[in-house]
Amino acid sequence: MRRTGEAAYKMRTAGDDSEHMARLAAGDPSALRELYQRHGRALLRFSSAMCRSRQAAEDLVHDTFVALLREPNLFDPAQGNVFGYLCGVLRHRVSRHFRHERRLVALEVDDEGAHQQVSPGDSPADEIARSEMTRAFRRAILELPPQHREVIALCDLEELPYATVANILNCPVGTVRSRLHRARALLTLRLASLELVELSDESLRAQEGLS
Amino acid sequence: MTQTLHPQVETLMRRFSRELAQISPSDDLDARIGALVAGNRPARQIIPTRRSRQLPRWAAAAAVAAFAIILGVFIGVKLERNAQQQATAADATHEPAWLPADFSMWPADSVALQIPAEYSSSGTLVAVDPKAKATGKRYWIDVIVSNDGTLRIEKVVPAEATKNQNEGSRDGITLQTQ
Repeated sequence: MRRTGEAAYKMRTAGDDSEHMARLAAGDPSALRELYQRHGRALLRFSSAMCRSRQAAEDLVHDTFVALLREPNLFDPAQGNVFGYLCGVLRHRVSRHFRHERRLVALEVDDEGAHQQVSPGDSPADEIARSEMTRAFRRAILELPPQHREVIALCDLEELPYATVANILNCPVGTVRSRLHRARALLTLRLASLELVELSDESLRAQEGLS
Repeated sequence: MTQTLHPQVETLMRRFSRELAQISPSDDLDARIGALVAGNRPARQIIPTRRSRQLPRWAAAAAVAAFAIILGVFIGVKLERNAQQQATAADATHEPAWLPADFSMWPADSVALQIPAEYSSSGTLVAVDPKAKATGKRYWIDVIVSNDGTLRIEKVVPAEATKNQNEGSRDGITLQTQ
């Protein structure tokens, strides 16, 4: 799973973003559209995995590109690639969004962001069961603490290399690994409590010890 | 260090990842980015957001504090006025508007003394021993000493005028309690 993801990541970042960034810094806003076309979708996936509402996820991606347009010079190529930088900016926006959201009362998890993928051969009962499981899985991810949710989103869902994730989270690679370890244990326990995953007593004790 | 995913968790993760991969930016987001590129102001900033419409916390706290102070002053003034009115009413009921006719400015406890005196050679009236033989005209000085420390001479009368009244007194000083 990771190898294909890393290959996709390399393909995505293989192009020359530095030229776009140079144009953007020179005051050419059209470079922003090309950067959005290259990375907007991946950023929206990360944002959607982190946020409860699709609208909030899109707003945060928009804010990220506004920030890039306003201060393109903040990007330092020595620190990493443009996608990593944009992920870092988006992560800060998401954290700020959570701080603001904490003061509000959450009404309902907005599931419209996760479009249902339907296989042609599935019966309606299978489709319903699958969509319910995915919905429950999404809820389980959203119930994780933000620092664990983001590491699952970046490492497991977006399948970014650990070094890139470490760069985005501004922490050592070892911290990324340990955080991912703990996040997976928490997620597994949560899924087991929702009866989406069956755990033997032995593995249950092991997961509880980790969490 | 990183643990391998539980097979069922991995399956769910893959499924969720595939669904996430289907997400594409909405037309609205595309349009907003297009507006950014076109050099317009960010569309999200034109519409006042919920945060910008919200009163800042410090302003809300200041407003509440100001309201509390004003309310406190209002209640204090009200209470003070009520207390004054009650005190005035109490004064009106308990205290007489005018002093009674038998009211005296002098304290109740006082002692009246009668001291014999004669004119000295220097022309001043001095107290004398009542047992001594009179060398000149003798007078009685009526002195009233009060318990508040004041002393006053009530009157000075010639001894002959009160001779009959003072015959019984040995020392010549008569005490009278008022």
